[in-house]
Parts: sequence; structure tokens; C-alpha cells
Amino acid sequence: MLAYLARRLILVLVVVWGAATLAFFLLFFSGDPVNLLLPLDASPEVRAQFRRANGFDRPVAEQYLHYLSRVVQGDLGVSLRNQTPALRLVLERMPASMLLAAAALLFAVVFGVLAGVLAAVRKGTASEFIVLFLALLGQSMPVFWLGLMLILVFGLELRWLPISGYGTWQHLVLPTLAVGTFSMAAIARLTRGGVLRELRSDHVRTARAKGLSERVVIYKHALRNAAIPVVTVVGLQLGNLLSGAVITETIFAWPGVGRLVLTAVTQKDFPVVQAAVIVFAVLLAVINLAVDLLYSLLDPRVRYH
Amino acid sequence: MPDGSAKPWLATGVRAVNPTTWEMTIRPGIKFHNGEELTAETVKWNFDRVIDPAKPLRISNSWAALSKVEVVNPTTLRFTFRNPFPLFQTRLTGFFILPQKYVTENGNKYLQEPVGTGPYKFVRWVRDQQFELEANPNYWNGAPKIKRVIFRPIPEASSRVAELISGGVDIITNLVPEAVSAVRASNVAEVRTVPSIRNIFVILNTQAKPGSPLANPKVRLALNYAVDKRAIVKNVLGGFGQPTGCALNPYIFGYDPRACQPYEYNPERAKQLLAEAGYPGGFSMTLGSPNGRYLNDRQVAEAIVGQLAQIGVKVELRVQEWSTYVGQILERKIPTDAVLLGWGNNEFDADNSLYSLFYGGTVRGGPRQVAFSYVRSVPLDNALLQAQRTIDPEQRKKLYLDALKVLRAEAPWLFLYQQEDLYGVSKRIDWKPRPDERLLVADMAIK
Repeated sequence: MLAYLARRLILVLVVVWGAATLAFFLLFFSGDPVNLLLPLDASPEVRAQFRRANGFDRPVAEQYLHYLSRVVQGDLGVSLRNQTPALRLVLERMPASMLLAAAALLFAVVFGVLAGVLAAVRKGTASEFIVLFLALLGQSMPVFWLGLMLILVFGLELRWLPISGYGTWQHLVLPTLAVGTFSMAAIARLTRGGVLRELRSDHVRTARAKGLSERVVIYKHALRNAAIPVVTVVGLQLGNLLSGAVITETIFAWPGVGRLVLTAVTQKDFPVVQAAVIVFAVLLAVINLAVDLLYSLLDPRVRYH
Repeated sequence: MPDGSAKPWLATGVRAVNPTTWEMTIRPGIKFHNGEELTAETVKWNFDRVIDPAKPLRISNSWAALSKVEVVNPTTLRFTFRNPFPLFQTRLTGFFILPQKYVTENGNKYLQEPVGTGPYKFVRWVRDQQFELEANPNYWNGAPKIKRVIFRPIPEASSRVAELISGGVDIITNLVPEAVSAVRASNVAEVRTVPSIRNIFVILNTQAKPGSPLANPKVRLALNYAVDKRAIVKNVLGGFGQPTGCALNPYIFGYDPRACQPYEYNPERAKQLLAEAGYPGGFSMTLGSPNGRYLNDRQVAEAIVGQLAQIGVKVELRVQEWSTYVGQILERKIPTDAVLLGWGNNEFDADNSLYSLFYGGTVRGGPRQVAFSYVRSVPLDNALLQAQRTIDPEQRKKLYLDALKVLRAEAPWLFLYQQEDLYGVSKRIDWKPRPDERLLVADMAIK
């Protein structure tokens, strides 16, 4: 188990190195940011001076090595726009993004699992049909469109909730629904499939034969095994929720990392984009590791060597 | 001022002692928000920073003609220029005075917690969330009427409109024409517009390749006649724009209504000019456009492509994301024969448009090395250079008229329109938008 963990941690480092390298070269070949930072009529001397000051005039290999050596030392550079450490900018935004991702995940898991179990247990009834229909709808609606619809209905028509911004729990509701709906639908369908399969299996029949109540049979025996694929999906969705919230953060003016990165990309604020990529790479690698470790807790058959 | 004129502010007066020397008096008793006093020394320090050759700043270019600044007495300064400098007052309107002590003691903290002399004091800035200001009760020009101001960035256009209609915010900028009817129908807010200082045009690269049709002025004129500016403004911009025929607009000193008359829409004449130039069957070219930088820019470019097709000019459109696009233009590595671009003249003076964009119009550029134009004309260069060194306004106007006439004949650009800025404003706010895109809350009141 320990050897396995060590191997996986080395893999995390490789992934992070790969992501950092990719971020560096993609940005490098998109042109240098000097022209965007200076006014259109800045003189060539000012441009040259700015390039020198930021090291953009040196060869690619040298810039890359310099960048890597800084990253290894934990220095992710200073934002070209704000003159603030890039890592600090990203970490400052982390709580808002995490909050949204966590709320969306909670929403997706709770409602997704409940709906999925309901659909499986009430197979062939109207409940199953409604759940399946809503799940299909939830997976086919573009986040962008759903977000705007939520704003129109709950913000503008009913005036129940604030339209955009950050601060109170009310601000959290609409973005959560927008981000979480897709994952909820995915989880509902998976849970339904898993529970249906388990309900036909031998150990559930045995449990029923023992005279256990239906509730115990479903939640303790069927759901536990049905949960394994769901946990995988949840892990994958968490990555999606964290990094894919760009659109939602933009629609709802939510001050998360997604929006920070979007702005940084359009402004070619290299250090901020790179810092965000690295932070996300670490985060996603750790989440994946956690998901794998969680398997062994759920399924005693899974062992790591 | 909104009409482009300047009036005394922190400086109570500037006068030319001789063509290269100006004297400035500053308003006494001005204090920064942190209590620091604004003195002639402070002003000198600010200008010394800008003209320090060792550390060029963003605006250093604009002050290249300034050689030194001396303090005459606590409220008077003397400015010495390398050559006559008629733009002194104009450029002062864009010069902001920093508190010397605060900046030297705190360095970059200034960027996070600015201190000024203005009507509003900085309270709090949470990046991408909100920016808060409060009224400065000791403002020298009288305390502003609105006590507290919050700026909120809401990047998505539909969310902005929703916030305005629901009363979440009082003013929104960059209202898209598609949302105009929704704002009008709301009863809470209204649409307020102002012709912007920004002109939109297509730069024609006359020198890209030898023998390019665009090198022929007749072809360039033909393009100007072939595009129906009015139809574009009406159909693509929802009517929010004014067709133009030059690089200036009525706000700008040096503008001349006759020399700037939009080229009429006349496809027959365009075809005739093309035939005279030796292209009776038209030709092919490429056009670059940004997407989302200017109001419906890509759609405007598409309309141009369609209209030029009618005179036989086949245009291939290449749309790019702004940062890449502008980078190529500035590095003079434009991959297309023509580019759609806008220019907002924040000095309200023809120099900022004509000298910056046309002087020494070679690919290498003039002294300011912007050179978006590819016109090579000695009379044009002479007029622009002389206008820059002439103090007498009437004389300058005449020089700019000469320049406009050269441009009219050369038609180096496909002139399009002057953009209009659209704001959604709550009916309770008493405020008229300005052409320079500034939101001066001190000019607003709540009804």
C-alpha cells in the first residue's frame, strides 16, 4: 500500500510537470503579452524595455528552464497586470470556486442518488419515467442556457434570488443549480442502473430472504455496491465542476478561479494562467488518488500493491 | 469637458511664455485623501517620473517633447519643451497627479490602495467582485451628491441587463443592441446613448505584396463607394453609429465636416473605378477582424464581405481573438490584406489620430512608430508635423484640413463609422453619458 502510494505521488509530480510545461509552451507560442499591456502607440523603446524587464527577449529554452526552476522553488511568478504574486491571486479565488464546486457536488450527489434509487425501486412506474426524462433534459441543456434561464425565472420574474454576485447563501443557489444539474443527471442515471443490477443479484436476494426490511436491503446492500461507479464519476465530475465553472462564473459574476483564468488568458497574463494550471493539476491529481483510495473502502475486493 | 474642451482643474492656468516655454499655476490648498498636500514640488516630481529616460512609463511617449520642469514658486511651474508644443493643455487632461510621499514610501501598494485628490476616496477593492468608493467631503470642487459608489464587474451581457432591470445596479455599460428593447420595456431603466470618440475603419495594406490592387488609389476609392455604411449601422448596430468619411469625428479638434463627408454608397461608380484601375472583373483579398472587441465587429466585417462581393471583390474573412490580432498589428505582421480596427482618440485633438496613424506612413512607421496606414505622402507628413509644432489654433486647423484632403484623395482606409456607446441607466439616475467612456460619478445625482 505504501509503495503504491509512493508510486502514485511520483506520478502526481509527473502530471504537474507535464501540465506546467504545456501551459508554458502554449502561452509562449501565442505571442508575448507586451502589446496587450502597453498602449497601442507605445514606442518601440518602451516595448523593448518592457520585454527585457520581463525576460521575454531571451531564448525559449532559457525562459523555460528559468520558469521550471522558479516553479520547483514554489515561485509561480508575479501577475503582469496586477504586480501581485500569481499564486496568491489564484489561492484568493480558490474559496469561491471550491464553495461553488462543493455546493454543486452536494446538490448533484444528494439529488442524483435519491432520484436514481427512486427510479430503480419504482421501475416501470411514472416516477421512473419522470426521473429519466429530467435526467436526459439535465444532461442535454447547455450550462450557458440553463444559467440564463435560471436568471430569467428566479431572478427577474419571481425575484426570489439575486442575479449575480457573491457574499450570501442566496447568491450561491442559482450558480449551484446551473453547475450541478449536469452532474446530478449523470449521477441519477448511473445510480439507477447500478441499483437495478444489484437488486437482481444473489446477495440482495439473500438479504431479502433473511427477512431484512426493504430499506436496509436497498441502502445497505444494493446501494453500497452500486456506489462504486458513482464514486468514480463523482471524482471525475469534481474536476469538471472545479475547472469547468468558467461559463457559470462568468454568467453569475462569481469571483472564482475560472473567471480569473479567462481574464488572464485574454490579457496574456502568463504567470496567472500558469499558476492556475499548476494548482489545478495538483488538485485534480490528488482528487484522482483520493477516489482510487476510496474504492478500497467501498469494495474490500479492491487491493493496491 | 464632455465636448472635448479643457477647463482649469488642479492647474488653474497654463500660458505660453514663448513657443517652447509654458508656465502653469496650480490650485492652492489641494489635499490628497491621506492629507498630503499637492504642491508645485509634487507636480514636478510627477513629470520628472514621466520624462525619466531610464524608466520609461506607459505615457512617456506623449511627453517626449518635454525637456525639463522647474518650480518657480509654491504654486507656479515652468515647463521647457524641445520644440513648440501646442498639445500641452490637451495632454494635461490625461495627466494624473500621484501623491509623491505616499508613492515613494509605499511603492506598489499604490496600485492596490490608490490615493488621489478627487471627489471620491478609495474604500475597498475585492478583485472581480467589487470596487467601492465613498464621497470625499473635503473635495475642493464641493462634496459630490452621491455618497457611496460600488463598481461591479459583470462580464456577461445578459446578466448585466437582468441586474439593471431588477434594480440590482443603476448603470450598465456596453449594452448590446439586442438588449435595447428589453431595457426600454422595463419601466425601471432606459437606454442612453452618446456618439463615442471612437471611429471604426478598415486599414488597407497597400504595401503587402508588389502589384497588389490595393496599391491603386482608384481601387481603394472603389471599396469606399461599394460599402453601404448606413445599411451596416442600421442593420448590424441597431442604428447606433454615424457613418464617417475620415479618421476624425466632430468631437476632435481639426475635424472638418466637408473633408469628412462619408463616401456615398454607389456600387456603379465603384465598378467603374475598378474597371478604370484595370480590374473590371474584381479581385480577391483577405480581411481580418476581431471578435467581440468592438460592438458587433465580426458581423460588421461579414456585412462588408457581402457588399464587396457585389462589385466582384471576393473577400476571405479571417476572424481572430483580440490579443493575437492586436499583437500581429503592432508587430506589423498582419497576415491579411486589410484589418478592421477602431481608434478612440482620448485627447480630442487631430494629432492623436492623424499623426499617430498616418505620419511617415510606411510599414516602419514614423517617430511614434505606430503607422497603421500605408500611405506615403510628403505633403501629408509635412502638414502633420507642422501642425504638431504650431501654437496658433487657426493655423493648425488649416494644416489638418490639408492633411484630410490628402487622405480623402488617397483613401488609405475603408472608412466606416463613428461608434455610439450604449448605456442602460436606471430612471432614478440623473446623468448623461460622455463620449470618452468615462463614468464620472461626481456628475451624477439621484432624482
